[in-house]
Amino acid sequence: MSTNTLHNRSARRKSSMSKVLAYALLTLGAVVMLVPFLWMLSTSLKDQAQLFAWPPNWLPNPVTWTNYSEVMGKIKFGLYGFNTLKITLAVTLGRLLFCSMAGYAFARMKFPGKDFLFVMTLATMMISSQITLIPNFIIMRTLGLVNTHLGVILPQLADGFGIFLMRQFFLTFPFELEDAASLDGCNPLMFYWKILIPNSKPILATLAVMTFQGVWNDFLWPLVMLTSPGKRTLAVALSYLVGQYTTRWEIQMAGSVLTVLPVIILFFLLQKYFVQSIKMSGLKG
Amino acid sequence: MAQAQISHQPKTFLSRIRKSTQEAFWGYVFILPAMLIIIAFKLVPLVVGLGISFTDWNLLSSPEFIGLQNYARLFTDPVSPIVFKNTFYYSLISVPLNLLISLGLAIALNQKIKGLAFFRTAYYIPVVTASVAVSAVWVWLLSDFGIINQLLNAIGVASVNFLQDPKYALTSITLVDVWKNLGFNVVIFLAALQDVPDELRDAARVDGANERRIFRHVTLPLITPSIFFTAVMGVIGSLQAFDLVFNMSLKHEGGPARATSTIGFYIWQNAFKYSKMGYAAALSFALMAILLVLTIIQWKMRSKWVYGEK
Repeated sequence: MSTNTLHNRSARRKSSMSKVLAYALLTLGAVVMLVPFLWMLSTSLKDQAQLFAWPPNWLPNPVTWTNYSEVMGKIKFGLYGFNTLKITLAVTLGRLLFCSMAGYAFARMKFPGKDFLFVMTLATMMISSQITLIPNFIIMRTLGLVNTHLGVILPQLADGFGIFLMRQFFLTFPFELEDAASLDGCNPLMFYWKILIPNSKPILATLAVMTFQGVWNDFLWPLVMLTSPGKRTLAVALSYLVGQYTTRWEIQMAGSVLTVLPVIILFFLLQKYFVQSIKMSGLKG
Repeated sequence: MAQAQISHQPKTFLSRIRKSTQEAFWGYVFILPAMLIIIAFKLVPLVVGLGISFTDWNLLSSPEFIGLQNYARLFTDPVSPIVFKNTFYYSLISVPLNLLISLGLAIALNQKIKGLAFFRTAYYIPVVTASVAVSAVWVWLLSDFGIINQLLNAIGVASVNFLQDPKYALTSITLVDVWKNLGFNVVIFLAALQDVPDELRDAARVDGANERRIFRHVTLPLITPSIFFTAVMGVIGSLQAFDLVFNMSLKHEGGPARATSTIGFYIWQNAFKYSKMGYAAALSFALMAILLVLTIIQWKMRSKWVYGEK
């Protein structure tokens, strides 16, 4: 009895020790992760005289908004934001539509060549963007789509993972649904639009946030495709801004804040779906 | 309407055929847009890229067939061993380090901790942040008069030229890569740890196992599928490193002195700076071959250590 309580007490002490250790580790981790963002935000609100102060000023005094007006005005981040939004929304909507359509057919219809096409679709997930970069650029050049937003959008409108994700989800609906629907005179198009899509909102939201974030932040493909400055996306424009305003850290950081803010806001609003999307990507393994 | 009639009729041979052709028709209609995109921009590029890799082509004149010369050049080009070495270094540092730190953080998060949502969010924010912005802020933090060097000076250490000194440049960028991608693995590992049934751990505890042994022999084996997945993804991702390397090297030159040039960067440089499309395509196929071989090796080895893959 007494050894038992002793044992319990030492176990409890041990577990509270490990909790303290856990909190220390987690806090250290959180500080390392968040400090660069705070420094980005803080720098973006400073004038040049405040940049190198030691000890560092985390709260800018005075708060300077002119960096943002310069980035939005002279450096045209408003335009780049619009370009980025346009490309990102087009890819996201297109991918939701095309991947859910294909996912439906692969999950619930019979047609010759289905298994082959599905395996082929899965296999394309292995083909990395570095391999397709040059040939796709050449294909776009042949089609006359270099330096157009359509050229950036087009190759991204469907992807193997999105199709796979939608198929797995559509497999979970009972197959009696089709029988009932066809008795009601419902063709596959109506079935897809009236029954499947309205009942798939969580998975569509997951695919949407995944795609949105990926396309918004995408760098290499728009970098090589968009040759004229006015067509650039935020990520590409920010890269040029950094190259041009080499030591104007306050301008660079204002541009960075404007580039990352929309996705971070979206992340806070739809965190559930973001977390879901990572767990879903684990399905591949 | 037609379909509704058919399903009311007795199932004759003809109606069944009609139904299955109709279903096949709809099946093709539904997969058509996605298949066109995937074939045109994933599969056709494989053929086109392979074709380009056999040519000498600067985009201005027409491509000239040169057989395997671009592949032979991989072995004579003095730069190619450097970029391959840099890329493997990048992978060898970033993948294990990322796994260890993210696993540690996930284990800490799994201790029935308060503020779990806050911590998970903090770790995940860099993952959703554009790599260009990540590069910009870290170049600022690591610059000569940046806050990290100021901190070093304050404790009496001389400034380190993190990104301009060939000794440190690649390692610095690799560590920023770990910082950026850590959160992805944390979420994966946390989900896996939460799936380990408490009963198993309790049973081991009743049998007198201490916490370390429980972790080693109960928890760890059960999360090996996640470790396998993140390792494979990590290797594939890091071997293609481009964004950070491009944006954190001065004037996008992969320097100082080639110290931060990776295969991905060298592909871009050959294609879009030197206008050597053929050589760039050959490099990308060499990269694909490496990715394929490594993925197959990892896949074959998984039966040795991944739970449920015996």
